[in-house]
Amino acid sequence: MYEFTKKTICDGVSFGNIKDDRFKRGRINATLVMPLDRKTAAANALLSCVLTRSCKKYPDFTSLNRKLDELYGAALYPSVNRFGDLQTVTISVSGLDDRYSLDGKSISSEITELLCSILFEPNITDGHFLEEDFEQEKRQLLENIDAEFNDKRAYAINRCIEIMCRDELFSISRFGSREEVAALTQEQIYKAWKNMLDSARVELCMLGSAPYEKTLAGFRKYFDGKPRKITGSTKVISEVGEVKRIVETEEIVQSKLVMGFRCACPKTIRERIANSLMSIILGGTPTSKLFQNVREKQSLCYYCASRVDNNKGIMLIDSGVETDHIEKAENAIMEQINAFVHGNVTDEELNSAKKALKNVIISTLDNLIAMHGWYISGTLSTFLASPVEEADIADSITKDEVIELAKKIKLDTVFSLIGN
Amino acid sequence: MHAKTGAMANAYTSFEKTCYLFSCTENFKESLEILLDLIQSPYFTPETVAKEQGIISQEIKMYDDSADWRVMMNLYQAMYHNNPINRDIAGDVESIAKITPEILYECYHAYYNLHNMVLSIAGNVSPYDVLEIADRKLKDSPPVETRSIFPDEPYEVKEKYVEQKLPVAVPTFYLGFKEKASDEMPTLKELVCTDILLEAFAGDGSELYREMLDQKLINSTFGADYLAGRGYRAVMFEGETHSPSEAANAICAGVRKLKEKGISREDFEIARRSLYGRLISGLDSLSSTANQLIDLEFVGKTLFDQVEVIANITFEDVCERLKDQLDPENISLSVIRGIDD
Repeated sequence: MYEFTKKTICDGVSFGNIKDDRFKRGRINATLVMPLDRKTAAANALLSCVLTRSCKKYPDFTSLNRKLDELYGAALYPSVNRFGDLQTVTISVSGLDDRYSLDGKSISSEITELLCSILFEPNITDGHFLEEDFEQEKRQLLENIDAEFNDKRAYAINRCIEIMCRDELFSISRFGSREEVAALTQEQIYKAWKNMLDSARVELCMLGSAPYEKTLAGFRKYFDGKPRKITGSTKVISEVGEVKRIVETEEIVQSKLVMGFRCACPKTIRERIANSLMSIILGGTPTSKLFQNVREKQSLCYYCASRVDNNKGIMLIDSGVETDHIEKAENAIMEQINAFVHGNVTDEELNSAKKALKNVIISTLDNLIAMHGWYISGTLSTFLASPVEEADIADSITKDEVIELAKKIKLDTVFSLIGN
Repeated sequence: MHAKTGAMANAYTSFEKTCYLFSCTENFKESLEILLDLIQSPYFTPETVAKEQGIISQEIKMYDDSADWRVMMNLYQAMYHNNPINRDIAGDVESIAKITPEILYECYHAYYNLHNMVLSIAGNVSPYDVLEIADRKLKDSPPVETRSIFPDEPYEVKEKYVEQKLPVAVPTFYLGFKEKASDEMPTLKELVCTDILLEAFAGDGSELYREMLDQKLINSTFGADYLAGRGYRAVMFEGETHSPSEAANAICAGVRKLKEKGISREDFEIARRSLYGRLISGLDSLSSTANQLIDLEFVGKTLFDQVEVIANITFEDVCERLKDQLDPENISLSVIRGIDD
């Protein structure tokens, strides 16, 4: 089992260490948390790509990547996400555990240094990143945004969120819009870099067997004593007006139906776990209501799954259906929710959902990427309980608790992508 | 079936095998018993078959919309005249419709016998517990010999170029270099040599990658892979691009240069280190380890043989391997373009 340590470096900068010697690979992640803002979302996203392309020490893409290969295939990559109405930019570096180094080199010290160079010593001259890096990464981010349309299941889910939350910050895509990215200038991403170091909330996390002291000291050097100002919170909407309905057509064989609901936005860890359990009973496993009834018994769709976003208080049900069955599928889904709200939940449904949820929670311990996800989600939502504690809570949730949460589900938006 | 134990169960079929699997954090023994019972007690009726036919047809339709899947299958169809790799794993809606319970039983008895099966487990469990359950649960199974007969396959690709239109915003391509292939699985040494070669030639730190990025022909989705099984072998390059033909030309130009000059000793060493690191890191994932154990068992090897092979591979081995690979005259290009493109 792991040992967990958390240290505060300065205002808004924390360092977590999950020490566990079962793994062959160690990881260090720097997560920068900022308000989701139309003016800065695109710049923050592009910045994360430009930063991981080169730095002062490895001044171009090829020399940086050769360095990673030399370090036994170390990896360095950015990821950008939404967390409620916050935007998170994570720069991750991972490498083989020092025990497997063939030449006695400490891989963990090298990747720590590399991450610090990437964050604090980027390839900047006179307030400009390398023009080539800027142009190349802008092109690739635009292609990445365009390619989101290639996967129709993901596209339909994104469109539903966009329509449902059109008057909220949450409708801003994690990368910003295509137009915003296309219009970005060098000045904007330089400003984004400055802003990130001065005012983002920073969650550093190191995972693996290596001792953390040197890494912590390395980060202290950069952040210590600098005054920082942190902002950002999430807006939760629980009332809905008339259901928004949008239909698009496309040259596809299987149509997509995505239904967006408002649901509880949990204020305690118990409520958070119960809300997840509610969604699993409804449509999270092959024994769930939606899978058993809408797919198995009524053969209305190929997949039909629900998921909650506990940070925003929304639930999505997405489904792949034949065009002729779209209306029937929607009605069948609403029927299952109604049954739930009226207390129609069997002990078997509750227990198999609990087992599935516990399985997911406990499996977190076997995967450092999942452990990092657990750490960030726990830290940002301020409910940090160990996976074992979370599993125990899941076990103690009652039928009444999940039914009460099911009653809070309200249909807000229906998005359909119909095949021609 | 596994709802009672809390295990997550699944099944999949690839070109070479069908796998039934579960993962769990408790009740391992009970879950294993359920799995072993399940694979030994087939039950097919016209009703259960009809229901699955509906579900599989939906699944096939979903794959028909997937650009990632279609671009790959179209390449296999372009490269192969006769080898069954040119057929979709799930079949097609017409062939699915013809399936009867009798066909399924016939198929079951031919392939689902213990002599053709591997049980692979990764995790914190006692091998003695596993053996006890296996001895108790597995029924006597008379040896059944199944032989797969592969049709003759010419060396040359069937078609040089295939294109399909789908609603995509960025076109995708697959470029395949077909090789001669026997009916045997490739050896571990051959696989490792190819991995090192591809890492040195087309990895993120390579000259080719850099040149193609500079020419705006690829983005970070670009990668190289080796397709190898019984009767089929090909090196493949894939990615999103607005200029598929130019990307293919750049790769072919790179290949010609590689054939002429070979790789450098330094590139070889760096690629080998990187491969070693990835191999060791892969052991962090229990599911991928369990899968690898099966694949290696099918070629008569174990996990640790791989580390041995990487440690002992020489620069000359990789240069020798290159001679049989990447024939720039024997290629197929598969492209998916947008509807209005």
